[in-house]
Amino acid sequence: MSDARALKGWDHLIGAALCVGSLLLLVATASDLAMSRDESFYLHAAKSAASWIEQALSDPSSAFEQERIDQAWRYNWEHPAWMKLGFAWSWLAQKHLGPFPNESLAFRFPGMLTAGLLLWLIYAWAASVMRREGALFAALAFAWMPRVFYHSHLACFDVPIAFFVTLTAYTYWRSLADSRWVPWLGLSFGLALATKHNSWILPGIFLIHFIWVRRDQARSGRSERVSIAWLPSMLVLGPLVMIGTWPWLWHETGRRLLAYASFHLRHVHYTYQYLGTNYFEPPLPVSVPFVMTFFTVPLTVLALCPFGLYERRDALRPPWMTKAGAPTNRRTEVLWFGCMLAPLLVIALPSSPIFGGTKHWITAYPFLALFAGWGLVAVVERAEISAWMGRRWPTWAFAALCLLPGAVQTAHSHPFGLSHYTPIAGGVPGAADLGMNRQFWGFTSGSLASWIREKLPYGGSVWTCDTTSGSWAMMQRDGLIPPNIRAASSMASADLALVHHEPHFAEVDYQAWVAFGSVQPVFVLRYDGVPIISVYENPRKIGR
Amino acid sequence: MAEAGRNPGLAVWVWVPIAALAAFELVAQPMIRAATPSDRSWEAASEYVRARYRSSDRIVAAPAWADPIVRAHLGDLLSLRMAAPPDAAGIDRLWELSIRGASSRDEPVDLEKDFDGVRVRMWSLPSQELVYDFVEEIASAKVELLDADQSKACPWVAARQAPGGLERGPMTPRERFVCDARRPWLWVGATVLSDLELQPRRCIWQHPAGPDPVRVTFTDAPLADRLLVYGGIDYQAERKRIHVPVTLRVWIDERLATELVHEDGDGWSGVEIDTGGLGLERATVRFETTADNPDARLFCWSASSVKGRRPVDDAEHRPSGGAPR
Repeated sequence: MSDARALKGWDHLIGAALCVGSLLLLVATASDLAMSRDESFYLHAAKSAASWIEQALSDPSSAFEQERIDQAWRYNWEHPAWMKLGFAWSWLAQKHLGPFPNESLAFRFPGMLTAGLLLWLIYAWAASVMRREGALFAALAFAWMPRVFYHSHLACFDVPIAFFVTLTAYTYWRSLADSRWVPWLGLSFGLALATKHNSWILPGIFLIHFIWVRRDQARSGRSERVSIAWLPSMLVLGPLVMIGTWPWLWHETGRRLLAYASFHLRHVHYTYQYLGTNYFEPPLPVSVPFVMTFFTVPLTVLALCPFGLYERRDALRPPWMTKAGAPTNRRTEVLWFGCMLAPLLVIALPSSPIFGGTKHWITAYPFLALFAGWGLVAVVERAEISAWMGRRWPTWAFAALCLLPGAVQTAHSHPFGLSHYTPIAGGVPGAADLGMNRQFWGFTSGSLASWIREKLPYGGSVWTCDTTSGSWAMMQRDGLIPPNIRAASSMASADLALVHHEPHFAEVDYQAWVAFGSVQPVFVLRYDGVPIISVYENPRKIGR
Repeated sequence: MAEAGRNPGLAVWVWVPIAALAAFELVAQPMIRAATPSDRSWEAASEYVRARYRSSDRIVAAPAWADPIVRAHLGDLLSLRMAAPPDAAGIDRLWELSIRGASSRDEPVDLEKDFDGVRVRMWSLPSQELVYDFVEEIASAKVELLDADQSKACPWVAARQAPGGLERGPMTPRERFVCDARRPWLWVGATVLSDLELQPRRCIWQHPAGPDPVRVTFTDAPLADRLLVYGGIDYQAERKRIHVPVTLRVWIDERLATELVHEDGDGWSGVEIDTGGLGLERATVRFETTADNPDARLFCWSASSVKGRRPVDDAEHRPSGGAPR
């Protein structure tokens, strides 16, 4: 099947430029963000993995014993190893060669790299099937979604899984036309499995797409049939790669795999505020992923997405609605549509555990951006923008105009990415009026670093609320917080107490009132006028 | 893609709504920011309130999410009772600092002034004089832990406070009655509860020990027209609605005055006891908590002896909620 354009060398130059540009931007802005709660757990796991790697290199016979593997890999056993290995290798590089300016960047770099590679991949795939203006638009539209930009900084699994899911979809798509891609599909699916469990739904999406294509071919009346070789590749190579990269599974494999699956199928429920209600237990309203997408993805990109879908409606038509004998192709749009919709639907299911953050369906957004790219191409062609002056610059100018809101909002969202809402929600204060989640993970404490340094010039202690002790220690190692300002384990004995504002943290606010005998915060960190963190000062420590 | 058969006349304008959306986003973002009241507006509004403040005034924010900003400016004026009112007693006026057109009440105001985006409003409230706040007088009480045949006095001590944090329940005050060191939750003292609606309530923590009561006795406590008794359970324990009820019995001079049975889901709720007809100016008032099973019964109560008529004449016998918001 040849329904795609072969990429040229300079296509990859553009892709590489997107990747490098993204990396530079992420590296330059990373120090504004304190380590998030989950990052602090993953870096602990990564350090443990790094010690195991060092032992495996120096004393392999003992490193592969179950006792040693369990010792190194038991912590954070509920997440596969691939990205943690990446964090570990990067940290080892920092330890021995010191290429990064600070330790947190060493841990975060592998995640940032996947963010850059994802832009390259979005551009490359899009440029295979649409005009390059649309391809470039798709990549940048994804990069300039405020929440994507935030998550792209982190030593977490969310942007990496978005990359590996997109890569798996791409290799599947390539394997339908060229059997040489079949092993690469198995490998990339394995890496997706080894990154995060979002990947579990991919075989189902591909199977539906495959049946669609086969029905197409059957109706076409020709004998050509696309091969199902991709499926055994995924089902055999995928688990092998996951197990092979995850030492925890090298012993008691079956039991530990079941425990891993069970952990995520019966995941704890995160408390989540949505439209004025604080949800402690499922079900979350079905609308959550859709409304959150509506409120956090730039509106212009969102508007172009359905436009792209409409423009490509013929390619999305079910097989029984296509004309018998019509030419067939890989139905790229059906694949993209499935990859876009499935993550949203999984979270929307009433039986799903409470996962409110957009990061949980972030794998949908590369495909949303791809359809937005189609939308841009459609508008440009229908409006014949290029013909206005017989030049191409009006097309680029229009694309730039459509990208500008995302770029401006992303710039403004930093370093409060998880608190940011687009103007359609009324911005940050509008979202607060609507009762939307304001933050999680405690990373906003990083925005207080200079204030705390100034407040405690001779050192002291801070009760850090939702910021973990690991995150605080990383701020100290990065030089954001001096070593003589320690994280206090008890609020009442601390010089300062932080309260991260989320409704269910109200009890912590009240604890501070009783601990310090005052309801007056000494400082309120705000973003667009909305409280993010209140800081209370211990009256018994003032002037000490 | 401008294929034959499509209407090029309309299609060429398709870029206009998309460009308009982009323009809307670009313009709306700074407009939203510009509409945020400045620190100067907050300061001016706060100074205005501060100059007119009386100790029986309560100050609130609208919308509620602006509350930390209001407390940062005026929190030094607010007692724990005023910030976390268990009932409406002792509040003569309500000040509201509001932004974005939000409002905490619909009633006609007595005063209103705008400070460049921060609106100050004030309401006078029906007078309910607070004669005696049992919560603030807890140090003068006697606390005992009873079992089948004996009572054990709980000493008033300065003890280490809880570390604090999410799902840790109300903060232990520095000074409190400690009943059993092996059961660290068996203490009695004044704290602030996060109730089922996550609202703050100034109250006395009195976790039941089981079917045998934990007893708090106030001797020679002033009584007036009514005794307002409210109670609630920490939101984490109450919202699950799986635990047994807590019973709070109130005795006035050895006579059972009321029995408040708090079931999960009731939220912050209580009763009014008519004490005007008892002919007592002072009395011994006893509060006993029990539960068939004390697991997760993070119970906290308040009692206010008040003079004056009810704010609403037809107030129900079992009102829920406390002070005006």
